[in-house]
Amino acid sequence: MDMLGMYPTFYVPQIGTAWIMGIIGTIHVVASHTSVGAAFLFALLETKAYRENKPQLMDYVKRYGMLLLVFSYIIGSVTGVGIWYSITIASPRGTAGLIHNFVWVWAAEWVYFTVEVIGVYALVYLIGKVDELTHLKLTWAFALASWATMLLILGIISFMMWPGSEVWYQTGSTNHAFYNINFFAHLGVRTGSMLVMATIVGLMVVSAMKDKSDELKKDVVRTLTPVGLIGGAVAVIMFFYYLQTLPPNAKVMLDAHLLPRYATGMIAVVAVTAVYLVVSWLKPLSLRLWITVPLFLFIGIVGVWPEERTRESMRKPYVAGQYIYGNQVIARDVPGKEIKGEVDHIAEHGLLKVHPFIPDRLRAITDENRLEVGRLLTKISCANCHALEPGAPLRNIPDKFHGATHKDLIAAFINGPLKHGAVSYMPRIDLPPEEVDAIATYLADANQRRLQGTEEDAGQSAIARPEKE
Amino acid sequence: MDIGTLMNVMRDPAGIPSHPVVFQALMIFTWIFHIAFVLMTFGTAGLAIYGFYRRDRGEYWTRLSMAMTKSAKAGVSLLIVLGVAPLLFTQVVYDPQWYTASVLSARWLVVFIFTLIIGYCSWFIFYYSNKEGARHRIGWFAFIGLGLFMLDGLIMHTLAYQSLLPEQWMNWYAPGGVVDTSGATLHGIQWSRFLFIISLSVPAAGLYLMAYADYFKSRPDRERPYLAFARQLGVKLSVVGLCSSLVLFLWWQAELWRESVLATHPVGWLLGVSMLVLLYATVRYGQRAHGYALMGAGMAVLSILAVWREIVRTHYLLPFDYDITNYPVHADWPSTALFFLTFLGVGGSVGGFFVVLLYRAGRVQGMYTADKLVSRMGTLAVVMLALWTVTFFAYGIVIWMSSVFGN
Repeated sequence: MDMLGMYPTFYVPQIGTAWIMGIIGTIHVVASHTSVGAAFLFALLETKAYRENKPQLMDYVKRYGMLLLVFSYIIGSVTGVGIWYSITIASPRGTAGLIHNFVWVWAAEWVYFTVEVIGVYALVYLIGKVDELTHLKLTWAFALASWATMLLILGIISFMMWPGSEVWYQTGSTNHAFYNINFFAHLGVRTGSMLVMATIVGLMVVSAMKDKSDELKKDVVRTLTPVGLIGGAVAVIMFFYYLQTLPPNAKVMLDAHLLPRYATGMIAVVAVTAVYLVVSWLKPLSLRLWITVPLFLFIGIVGVWPEERTRESMRKPYVAGQYIYGNQVIARDVPGKEIKGEVDHIAEHGLLKVHPFIPDRLRAITDENRLEVGRLLTKISCANCHALEPGAPLRNIPDKFHGATHKDLIAAFINGPLKHGAVSYMPRIDLPPEEVDAIATYLADANQRRLQGTEEDAGQSAIARPEKE
Repeated sequence: MDIGTLMNVMRDPAGIPSHPVVFQALMIFTWIFHIAFVLMTFGTAGLAIYGFYRRDRGEYWTRLSMAMTKSAKAGVSLLIVLGVAPLLFTQVVYDPQWYTASVLSARWLVVFIFTLIIGYCSWFIFYYSNKEGARHRIGWFAFIGLGLFMLDGLIMHTLAYQSLLPEQWMNWYAPGGVVDTSGATLHGIQWSRFLFIISLSVPAAGLYLMAYADYFKSRPDRERPYLAFARQLGVKLSVVGLCSSLVLFLWWQAELWRESVLATHPVGWLLGVSMLVLLYATVRYGQRAHGYALMGAGMAVLSILAVWREIVRTHYLLPFDYDITNYPVHADWPSTALFFLTFLGVGGSVGGFFVVLLYRAGRVQGMYTADKLVSRMGTLAVVMLALWTVTFFAYGIVIWMSSVFGN
C-alpha cells in the first residue's frame, strides 16, 4: 500500500498554529507595509527637496529613516522569515507546495530583499554625505526595489487563495499560478494600504519633532496627507474589486462568518483614518503623539489583524492553490504537475495506514487505544484550523458540535457533509468507519468530560499509560 | 516502509522547476555569504563587548568597541537577508529533511523569531548607548543580544543536524510509541560541528579588522596609530582564533571519521589544509599584505567549508538512497529566467550601485561627490528598476488576460 508524503504534526493547545501564523503575520504586514510605503514617501519628499531647494526636508527623511531602520527593518525582516517558519511548522506540505511552484520567484524576491536592506542603510547614512542628485537616485532605486518585493510576494500569496481558473491545473506553469485572478486586486489593496500606514507613521515622526520649524512640519504634513488619502481610496476601491475575485468557498465564509464579526471594525478604521488625515491636512501643527501612536495601534489591531485572519480563514479548507488542504492532504489532481489527489486513497486505506508518522502500536485500533488514536487522528485531520480543547479560542471542535456527547451524532457529521465535501470551507474528509468511530469517540468524550467538570483530556491521559507499562 | 523510501515519497509532488544540481550549487554559493556575515557579526559583537570592558586601557578600545558595535548591527541585517537564499534552496531539494526537522522542534522555530527580535533590539540599545563615558551596566544589553544570537545559531544548527538523522525522526516524534506534537525539544546537537563553525568568528573578526584598517587608510580623520592598533589586534585574533578552530575542526573530523568514506575524503582534509595556509599567511604577511587579500583568503576557506558541509550531508543521506539528482523535474523556463535576469540585472546594477556608493562615500571624510562612473551607475539602477517593473506588469497583464478571458 502506498504511503503518502505527509509530515509530523505540530500542535499548540488552545490557539493552534493558525494564531501563531496570524500574530507573526500581522506584525510583519504592519512593519513591511510601513517600510515599503515610507520608501515612496521618502522619494517624494526628496524629489521635492531637490526641486524646490529645501534641504531641511532631508532632516525629516533622516529621522523617519532611522525609526524605520530600528523598528521596521528589524521587525519586518525577522518576522518575514518568521512567517515562513510559522507556515512551515503549521503546514509543512502546503509550504513545500508553494516553494516548489515558486522557488524562482522567491529567489528573485530575495535579490530585491538583499538590495533593499543594503539600500536602507545607504539611504539613511548617506544623507548629507553624498551629493543630492546621487542620493535622489539612490532613494528612487530603493523605493522601486522595495515595491518589487511586494510585487513578487503577492503573486504567491494570491495563489494561496486560488489560481482563479483551470489553466494552471493543466499547464502547471508558474506564469499562470503567479498572475492569478486575485493578483492585481490584491496588489491594489496592499499598495494603497502601505501608503496609509507609512503616512500615519510619518505623522507620528512629525509629531515627535519638537526641535523643527513649523514651516517644515507644515510642509511635510501637507505633502504626506494627500498621499495617505489617495492610498486609502485606492485600497478601499480595490478591496471591493478584490472581493469579486474570491473563490466561492471564500465568499461563503466571508458572508457567513467573517463580515458579521469584522466589518464594523474595518469600516471604523477607514473612517477614523480618513478623518484624521483630513484634520491633519487642515491643522498640520495640531498633531499629537498621543493620538498618532494609538491610531497606528488601532489600525494594526482592528484593521490588519482581522484582515490577516480573514484572508487566512477565507482560504480554507486549502492552504495553497485550492489543491492542498490545510491538513496536508492533496485535494485534487493537478495534471500539469503530475500531482494526484489523495482523498480517495485515504478513504480506501485509512489515514492510519498511509500516514508515515503513525507509531506502529496505533496503526490498528483497539478498545485500549481508541481514545488515543481518536485524538491523534483529530489532530492530523482538523488541528490546522481547529483547537481540540472545549472552550478554546480557535474554532474549537467540541464547541462546534455544540457539546455533543453522543458519538453517533458526531460520526453522522463526519460520514455525511465531511465525507462528501458538502461544506465549502471544510476539507473533504473521507475515512474508514473505524477511524471515524475513533474520532467521534474522542470528541464525545471531550464534551462528556467538560460536562462532568473533568478538565483532563482523555486522549492525553490514555497516552500516558503505555509509557508506564 | 523504510525511511529512505519514505523520504523519497515525502518529496513535494510538484517536482522542481530546474535541474537539482542548479539548486544545490546556488545553495552552497549563497550559504558562503550567509555564514561569512554570521561569523563577522558574532566576531565583531564579541570584540565590541571585549573592547567595551577595556575602555580604561585606552581611547582606542572605546573607538574600536563603537565601530565593532556598528559593524555587528549591520551584520545582523545582512546575515538574516543572506540566510534566506540558502534556506530556500535547501527546502527545494532537501524538503523532506528540512520540514521534518523543523516540525520536530517547532516551538524552537517560534522561539527563534522572538529571540532574534529581542536580541536585535537589545543590540540596538547597546549601539545607541555605547558612546564615550557610557555606563558599565549597558554592557548587559550587548551580552543579551549576543547570547540570543548564539542561541539562534544553535537552533539553526540543530535543525540542520536533525535533517541528517532520518533514522531518529520517529523516535523523536513518538518516543516509546507515544506521539508528542509539542515540538518542544531540540533533539540533535553535534557540539563539535557547532562549536567549530562558531569558533571561526574569532579569526573572522581578525580578518575583518585587517580589512578595516586598510579601508580607512585614506581617511585623514582615522589616525595611523589607531589603524595600526586595529591591524595588530586583527593579526592576533586571526592567529589565536585559527589555532583554536583547528583543534575544534579535528574534533568534528574525528566524529566524522566514524563514516569511513568521510575519513579519507580529500575535501575534508583540504579544509584543514586551507586553514593552516591561512594561519601561515596571517603570521607571515599579516602586517604587510592587504587586508582585503587576507579576507579573500578567509572567504576561500568558507567556500571549502560550504562544499564540505554539503558533502557531509550527501554522505549522511546516501545510505538511505536519498539522492537529489533523481528529484523529478518539471522545467519552468519563464520563472527560471525571472530569477537569473533579476539576479544579474537588478542585483548587479542596483546592488552594485548601492555597494560602490557606500564603499566610496565611507572612504572620504566629509561630503562625497559621485564621479562619472558612480553617477552613471545610479542612473542605470533607476532605469533597470523602471524597466523591470514595466516588463513585470506588461508580461503579467498578458498572462492574466489570457487566463481570465481565454476560458
